[in-house]
Amino acid sequence: MSTSGGKLLCMPDPDRIQRSRMTAFRSWVSEETGAALADDHALFEWSTRNVAAFWKLFVEWTGVRLGGAREPVIEGAEVETATFFPGAKLSYVDHVLRPPADESADVEVVIGVDETGAREALTRRELRRRVACYARELTSRGVRPGDRVVGIARNVPRTLVLYLATLSLGAVWSSVAPDMGTELLVQRVGQVHPKLVLADLSYPYHGALRENVRTDAISELVPGCTIVSMTEVEGWAPAGESPELTLAELPFNHPLVILFSSGTTGLPKCIMHGAGGTLVEHWKELALHCDLGPGDRLLFHTTAGWMMYNWLVSALVTGASIVLYDGSVSFPHADSLLRCVAEERCTVFGTSAAYLSYCRDAGLEPRSALDLSSLRLMLSTGSVLRDPMFEWAYENVAPVPIHSISGGTDIIGCFVLGSPNLPITCGESPMTSLALDVRAANGGGFVRAPAEGSVVGELVCVQPFPSRPVGFWGDEDGSRFHESYFSQNEGVWTHGDTIELTSRGTARIHGRSDGILNVRGVRIGPGEIYKVLELFPEVKSSVAIEQRAPEEPGGSRLVLLVVLADGGPVPRPLMLRIKKELAARTSPAHVPSVIVAVRDVPRTHNNKVSERAARDAANGELPKNVTALKNPEVLREIMADPEIAIVRENAVPLEEKN
Amino acid sequence: MTSSELRQRVIDWLDDNYHFGDAQNLIKDDEMSFLERGVLDSLGFVQLCVFLEKTYKIKIDRKSLTRANFDSLGKIVRYVTAHKDYRGPK
Repeated sequence: MSTSGGKLLCMPDPDRIQRSRMTAFRSWVSEETGAALADDHALFEWSTRNVAAFWKLFVEWTGVRLGGAREPVIEGAEVETATFFPGAKLSYVDHVLRPPADESADVEVVIGVDETGAREALTRRELRRRVACYARELTSRGVRPGDRVVGIARNVPRTLVLYLATLSLGAVWSSVAPDMGTELLVQRVGQVHPKLVLADLSYPYHGALRENVRTDAISELVPGCTIVSMTEVEGWAPAGESPELTLAELPFNHPLVILFSSGTTGLPKCIMHGAGGTLVEHWKELALHCDLGPGDRLLFHTTAGWMMYNWLVSALVTGASIVLYDGSVSFPHADSLLRCVAEERCTVFGTSAAYLSYCRDAGLEPRSALDLSSLRLMLSTGSVLRDPMFEWAYENVAPVPIHSISGGTDIIGCFVLGSPNLPITCGESPMTSLALDVRAANGGGFVRAPAEGSVVGELVCVQPFPSRPVGFWGDEDGSRFHESYFSQNEGVWTHGDTIELTSRGTARIHGRSDGILNVRGVRIGPGEIYKVLELFPEVKSSVAIEQRAPEEPGGSRLVLLVVLADGGPVPRPLMLRIKKELAARTSPAHVPSVIVAVRDVPRTHNNKVSERAARDAANGELPKNVTALKNPEVLREIMADPEIAIVRENAVPLEEKN
Repeated sequence: MTSSELRQRVIDWLDDNYHFGDAQNLIKDDEMSFLERGVLDSLGFVQLCVFLEKTYKIKIDRKSLTRANFDSLGKIVRYVTAHKDYRGPK
C-alpha cells in the first residue's frame, strides 16, 4: 500500500544549506571527480554507483586516521563477504578522544544527568585520563585483546569510560540495561562467555532505588565470568593519577562491540560489529546527515544497551558534545527529559515515537513551558513516527526539522535518515543513507525509487556497506548469519522492514516485514514469548503479533493469540498469570496488550505457524497468498474478534482528538 | 453502585497493565498514595488517564492530572464521578 505524498512540514534553512557539511562534502566530491552533483539526491545516486570511490573520498575528507594500506577500499563484490579496507588499521578510541583542532580545554564533551538532576561533566582531557585509569584496571584483571567485557550498566559517564577503556585494549564490549529480566539477560550475556561482567546492581528510577540484577543467577548460569560491582569501579580513577594510555592500531575490521538482537526464533543474535565500519558509518550519518560538529550538543535518549548508545558515543568523533540521560523521563517532572534538553542547551535531541506520544497524551506543552531555543534538529527512531506526530512535535516541542531515522542493531546505523539541505515531509525520511544502495524488493526485482510516484517492498541493500556485521559470535560457519540476512534474497542484504521509496528521493518505513515485533521501540522476538508460554500447559499453541494501533504510544500494540487445550475464552486468572510470568522473565515490553483465544492459529500446509498471516488479519488485511494456508478460515475469526477489531474501529484522527 | 464499578475498572486496568493480579493486594486502602507505594509511575498515570477518557467518554484536562486528583483509588473515583460528562457505568 503506497502512502507517499505526505504534508510538507518545513523547508530547510538556506543559511544552513550554505554552510552544511553535506553541501561542503558534495562540492568537494564534485571537484574531485568531475561529477555534476546538483543536490543531495544526486550525491546519493552517485554514491551508490561509486561505492568504493565514495568511501575512499569520505575517509580522506573527514581525516580518518588509517594505518597500513588504504587500498583496496573494498575486497570482494558480494554484500555478504566483501571487506572494507582489508589492509588498513585504526583505533576507534583514538578518534573519540582526540580533540578537534580548535577545541578549548575546558569544553564539557560528556555530560551525565540523571532524573534527580545530578550532573557530572567531563572534558576530553578528563575523559582520556579516566579511560587510561580504567584500562589499567581492566588489564590488571586479565582483560586482553579479543576478550568480551559486558556492562549491565546505567547510562552514566562511568559506563562510557568503561566502554572506551575496554575498546582501547582491543577487547570487545557488550552491554545490556540493568532493568532487563534475568532470563533475557542470561540469554544474552551467557552466549558471549565474558571475561568480566561489570554490573550496576541497583539503579534509580522514578525516585526509588530499584534492584534487579541477580548476580547469583548470572554467576550460576554464566560459569567462569567475574562479576564486578560498579560501586567498586567508581574507585578506579583516583584524582591525580594519570597513567599513560596506549591506543594500538588494530585491523580495520576487528570486532568492536557485540550487540544483541531478538530473532524470530532461537536465542538472541550476538551481532559483532567491526571498529572501522562502525566508525565511518557513524561519522557519515552524524556529520553529513545530521550536520553534527564542534559546538553541537546531542542528547539521544537511550539506555546503554541499545545501538543508539554506540551511535551517540560516536558523536564525540565529530567534535560535538554528548548528554547522557539516566532515569525516568517523567520524574520528578512530567517533562523531566525535555527539561534536561533545555537546561543543557542541546542542539540536537533524539527521541522516539513512544516518547512523543507520551508528551502528547500527558498534555505537555514544552514549546511554551521550556526554553528550547537551542534546538535545531529532532531525531526520532525505534518505531515508525506517524504523520500526525511530526506536526504535533513541530508545533508543541520546537519548530525545527524532525528526521525520522531507521536502521537498527543489525547494521549499527541507519538506512534512512535526513539531511540539513532537504525539506521535511510528514511521515517520511528525507533521504536514504549515502552509499547504501537501498532498494525495494517487490517481486519485480530490486527496485530503485521510480521516476514518478513510489514503490513499496522489502528493504534490501544490494551493494557492500562497511557497517555490515563482521559476523555473529559463536556462529563459526556463518550459517545463522547467512540465514538471518541473505537466505531470503540470495546475494543481497534483506533487512526485515518494508520500505517505500518515492520519486522525490524520500523514504517511508512501513514496519517490520518479518515476524519480529517492535512494540514501543522495543524489538521482541516472538520466540522469547513462546518460551515462557511453555510453562503453561493450558496453552496448546500461540502466536504473538504486532497490531497497528495508531493511538498507542509507538503506534502499535502486542497481541497474543492462544489456542487453549480446553477451548473457550481465556479465563482472567490465566491471562493475568501469563502476563505476570512474561513481565518477570522477559520485560514489561513483552507483556501483550490483549490475549485472545482462537480455535487455531494460521498454519501453512507444512503445519508451520504463519505469524505474518495472523498479523495481516489482525490489521484487517487478508494475506496475499491465502492458498499457502491450510486453515485460512481462522483469519476471518481473527479479523472479527472484538478485542482485536476495537483498535481499528477506535482509531481517531489526531486533529479530531485535539 | 456507580463508584464501585469505576473502582473495579481501575483495579482491573492496573492488573492488566502493571500488577497482573496483585493490584487488589497492593492497594491496602482506597486513600493509599499510588506514587509513594509504587503502584503507578507518572507514565502510568498518563496511560490510566487515556483509558478513563476512552472508557467513560470524558475529556480530562491535563492540568488536573495532579496528585490531588489522581494519586489514590479514592481520588480517581471521586474525580471521575464528579466530572461534568460522566454518565455512569459502562
